[in-house]
Amino acid sequence: MSETTDQTVVETPEGAGKPDMIVLEGVEKIYPGSTQPAVSQLDMAIPQGEIVMLIGPSGCGKTTTLKMINRLIEPTAGRILLDGKDVTHVNGDQLRREIGYVIQQGGLFPHFSIADNIGVVPKMLGWDKQRIRQRADELLHLVGLEPSTFRDRYPRQLSGGQQQRVGVARALAADPPVMLMDEPFGAIDPITRDRLQDEFLDIQRTVGKTIAFVTHDLQEAVKLGDKIAVFATGRLEQYDSPDTVLTQPANDFVSDFVGGGAAVRRLSLLELAHLELHPVETDEKAAGSRNGTPVVEVDGSGKPVSWRHLPGGDAAGTAMVTVPISGTVYDAVDVMLDGCASLVAVVDEEGRAQGVLHWNDLVGGLRTRKGHA
Amino acid sequence: MNFLDYLVTNSQQILFLTQAHFLVVLIAVGIGSAISVVLGLAVSSGEPDPRRFSWDWFATGIREGGLVFTAALLTVPSLALFALFLPFTGLGVTTAVVVLTIYTLYTVLRNTVAGLTTVDRAVLESARGLGYGRLRRLLTIQLPLAWPVILNGIRVTTLISISIAVVGAVVQGPGLGILLLNGISRIGAANSFYQVLAGTLLCLVVAAVFEIFFAIVQRLTIPRGIRV
Repeated sequence: MSETTDQTVVETPEGAGKPDMIVLEGVEKIYPGSTQPAVSQLDMAIPQGEIVMLIGPSGCGKTTTLKMINRLIEPTAGRILLDGKDVTHVNGDQLRREIGYVIQQGGLFPHFSIADNIGVVPKMLGWDKQRIRQRADELLHLVGLEPSTFRDRYPRQLSGGQQQRVGVARALAADPPVMLMDEPFGAIDPITRDRLQDEFLDIQRTVGKTIAFVTHDLQEAVKLGDKIAVFATGRLEQYDSPDTVLTQPANDFVSDFVGGGAAVRRLSLLELAHLELHPVETDEKAAGSRNGTPVVEVDGSGKPVSWRHLPGGDAAGTAMVTVPISGTVYDAVDVMLDGCASLVAVVDEEGRAQGVLHWNDLVGGLRTRKGHA
Repeated sequence: MNFLDYLVTNSQQILFLTQAHFLVVLIAVGIGSAISVVLGLAVSSGEPDPRRFSWDWFATGIREGGLVFTAALLTVPSLALFALFLPFTGLGVTTAVVVLTIYTLYTVLRNTVAGLTTVDRAVLESARGLGYGRLRRLLTIQLPLAWPVILNGIRVTTLISISIAVVGAVVQGPGLGILLLNGISRIGAANSFYQVLAGTLLCLVVAAVFEIFFAIVQRLTIPRGIRV
C-alpha cells in the first residue's frame, strides 16, 4: 500500500534468482471414465512472488490445473511441489489450510460473521481467540473495510465487491505463501471489478504472495499477470509475459485466442515514461518563436491550462488534456478520446508538461518502439 | 348443563388428557426427528462419483430408498397402522408412540435431505478449499445452513401428529382422542357433544402451544446471518 515499498517487491527483474514456489512436473488429470485427459503432461513453474494468470476457453483445463495445486482435484500422474516440497501425497485438508483459496463471490459462509469468516483457517490451525480477532481487524483494514463497521456484520449485509474483499482477506488470514484464485472477480460489475483489480495489485505489492489466478478475461490477465499461461484442451500453449503473449503468440491457437483486440490491449503495457515524447515549450520561454514545437500556456503553479501554439493546428480550438507520466499509452488514448483532442500533454508529478503525445504517434511512432515497453 | 359448566366440572380429566396428548406428540416427534435427522446427515454429505464405487453410492441408495419407504408408510391409513401394531406392542402408550413416530419420519427426512443437499455449492467448495474435512463441512456448514428447512419439517410433522394422535385412542393411546372417541360412541347422550367439542378445541390449544414453542426454538437456534 505504501508508495515507497512498491518498487522493491514487484519490480525485481525477471529471473533474478527467484526460487520457484509452485512446480508442476508432468502433471496429468484424466477423469474416470474419460479417455481424453483434462490436463495432459503439464510442466509449469511459478516463481516466488509472481502472479500467473491461467487463461483459456472453457474446458481447457485451467481450473483443473488450479485445483490440482491444492489437490481439490487429485492428479492422475505427475508431481506437485510447493516451495520445494513434494505435496502430491500429503493430507489434502492439511495442505489446503496452508494455501489461500478465493473463489467467485468469495464463497463466504452466510452464517458466520465477517470476522469469523476471516478467522476460519486460523481457528483450524489452533490460534487463540485474541490473535484471530486481531488478525481479522488487520486484514479488514488491508482490504479497505473499516473493522469496527464490518467485523460483526454478516455476508448478506455486504455488497458483492465487499464480499469479494472479505474473500481475499480470508484467504490471507493464516499468511500462506501461496494463493489460488478461481475467477474471483468474475461475477462483479465492470466498474467495481476494475477497482478491485487495482486494490488487489496494491495488496500484492505489500504481501508479495505467489499467486495462480484463473480468469477468462484477457484484459484482466494482461492487467494483473506477471505471466500468462494460455491453455487449450488440456495443454499449455504458451507461458510468457503478457507483452510476449500479445505481440508474439506462440502459435495459431494463442493468436486466435488473443484475437483482434491484442493491439489495443497492448497499449496498457506501454508506459509513457518509457516513450520518447515530442518536446513541448511553455509560453514564457517561447513567446516569440513560432517553430515546430507546441507551446502551452501555464497557470501560476506551472500546470498547462491551454494550447498557445500548435504547429499546423488550431491551438484555440483544441482542448487541453493531460495524462500523468506514470500512466500508460492506454490512459493517454483514453483522455484523448474523452476530451476529443488529437494530442495530449504528458505531465509529471507536479503537473508540469514534460512532453506531448500525438494521436498520429499511435499509428506511426509507437509501432517502431516495441522494445521499450 | 352448558359447555362451560361441562368444562369446569371435568377440568381435571380434560387437563390430564391435554397434557398426555402434548407429551405423546412431543415424544414421538422427538424420537422420529432424531432418527430422521441423523439418517439424513449420514446419507447427504456427498454426491456419488458416477465412475467410481464408494460409500456415497450406498448413501444415495439408502437415501432414496428411505424416502420411498417412509413415504409409503405415511400413506398407510392411521387407523390401520395402529391396529397392525397391536399384536406386537399391545394396547396403550407404546403402540401410540411407535405409530406416531413412524408418521413423523418422511417429512423430517425429506426436509433434512433437501436442506443439506441444496446448500450453496460455492460455500461448500470454498470450505473444502480452505481445508475443511468432510465431517467438519457437514456439521459446521451444511447442518446450520439446512437447519431452517429441517426445523420447518419438524414443525409440519408435529401438526400432523397432533391429529393422528387422536386416532391412537382406538388402541387406548393417551390423549384427547379418548374424549373424542367417548363422545362419538355416546352421541346423543348427555354431554357427548361437549366431549367432542372440548377434544377438538384442546387439540387446537396443543397445536398453538407447539407453534409458540417452535417460534422460540427458531429464534434461538437459527444463526443470525441467515435469519429471514
